[in-house]
Amino acid sequence: MFKLLRNIKAITSAMLIGDWLIFVASSMLIIVLFQQLWSHEHATTVQIRLGDTVYGTYSLNQQRDIHVKGTIGNATISIMNGKARFAQSPCHNQYCVHQGWLSRSGQAAICLPNQLSLELVGETKHYDSLNY
Amino acid sequence: MRKGLSTVLTVAICCIAILGFIVYQKPPLYHSQSFVFGTLVDISIYGEPEERAKSLSNEILQDFQHLHHQLHAWKPVSENQVSELGALNLAFASQNKPLNISPLMIEVLQDATKLSKQSNGLFNPTIGHLIGTWGFQADEFAATSVDDKKISALVSANPSMDDIVVTNNSAYSTNSSVKLDLGGYAKGYALDRAVRYLRKQYVKHALINIGGNIIALGQHGDKPWRVGIQHPRKPSAIATLDLLDGWAIGTSGDYQRYFMLDGKRYCHIIDPRTGYPVQHTQAVTVLIPPQAPYHSQAGVLSDVASKPIFIEPAESKSKIATAMGINHFMVINQSSQVFVTKEMQNKLTWLDQDFKKHAYVQTTTQH
Repeated sequence: MFKLLRNIKAITSAMLIGDWLIFVASSMLIIVLFQQLWSHEHATTVQIRLGDTVYGTYSLNQQRDIHVKGTIGNATISIMNGKARFAQSPCHNQYCVHQGWLSRSGQAAICLPNQLSLELVGETKHYDSLNY
Repeated sequence: MRKGLSTVLTVAICCIAILGFIVYQKPPLYHSQSFVFGTLVDISIYGEPEERAKSLSNEILQDFQHLHHQLHAWKPVSENQVSELGALNLAFASQNKPLNISPLMIEVLQDATKLSKQSNGLFNPTIGHLIGTWGFQADEFAATSVDDKKISALVSANPSMDDIVVTNNSAYSTNSSVKLDLGGYAKGYALDRAVRYLRKQYVKHALINIGGNIIALGQHGDKPWRVGIQHPRKPSAIATLDLLDGWAIGTSGDYQRYFMLDGKRYCHIIDPRTGYPVQHTQAVTVLIPPQAPYHSQAGVLSDVASKPIFIEPAESKSKIATAMGINHFMVINQSSQVFVTKEMQNKLTWLDQDFKKHAYVQTTTQH
């Protein structure tokens, strides 16, 4: 471990200004590309599925807890400020709870033991304006 | 060192190229929504710098506000000042001497008279008294039980656009029961003005929606503007279509302004022959191609032409559509059956699967 640190020190001290420029430019490029290509679309609703049916679709623009009885017990799904998450689940591994907050459309959290899933849905517009 | 420098340059050029591409790719779409004209106005401008798009759309909104003050049937400009139309209606009612009116009002009256004639009087903007009696001249209206005698008296007074005499700068009415309500005209007129203004400003691409009536200018990037058509009973679109440059679309429906009384729906579209709201139709959508200069323009037609088709019973709808020069239209009747002309069907992309399966496609009757 100590050896590795010393190695890095050796490498950085040997770097010239051009190397640094490349390093900085590449980092910036990565940040910019990440921002551009990563889905920016904020979700507007969360769809909760239980087994093979849609349990319900809820707006993310509210603050509430939803209690759903899954196949092995009661789970709690929290919605707050455009985000949603499993707040409590009766499952053993708690993978679903550890997923944390979901906020971007297309994100999902699944609790296999309880056969319960969340999926965030964005505003996919089929048209520019509505005639009514 | 020289070798290192060229690497730096390569990376820098790549960065600039990628950033440039991102900036270039950013869709220059400006979108504004506001509440003017007593309704929702939605303006999209494509391909203009944001600042310019913003000031253009403000300019349009100001014009709408101005028109609203001139043409509104029942809202005064301020507490003690009626709109120009309000003043005209007062003059008509008291049978005063001719009232001086603006060139804009003259243009509107002449165009509306022509369209009223063309529609056999079914588009009749002089039945303001009837519309008011039914309670539709208010922002919020309640279920009104209507006095049948009053309705029949208003119908037999027979107000019509022909009663209005327009001279070179004034107008009067030979019938005191004439009360203008341009609710089925003004929005379309405003659309045409907005498009004319944008063309004059060399704007190539825009989409303007006033309370559901839409007109297109150019297109949305490399694709045409796409509009959705509202389901008359559900909060979703039943179909979409591409609105090409200069085309306009309008719908008359029984689902925006209506009240329920004893399980019956009373909508704001009133048959001027009977004086009662039309109950056999849920919605009529018309699609209007660009019109020749010095004729009624696409925006106006998209507002006006759907009304006579809405009012006529099923068997006469095609005939009145032909009289109005409308080839593209769709009717949804009270049993939610869809009738659509072949020309219209070719334009539609259905989203609602029930309607898609059960739409009756008909050829327009040729006369």
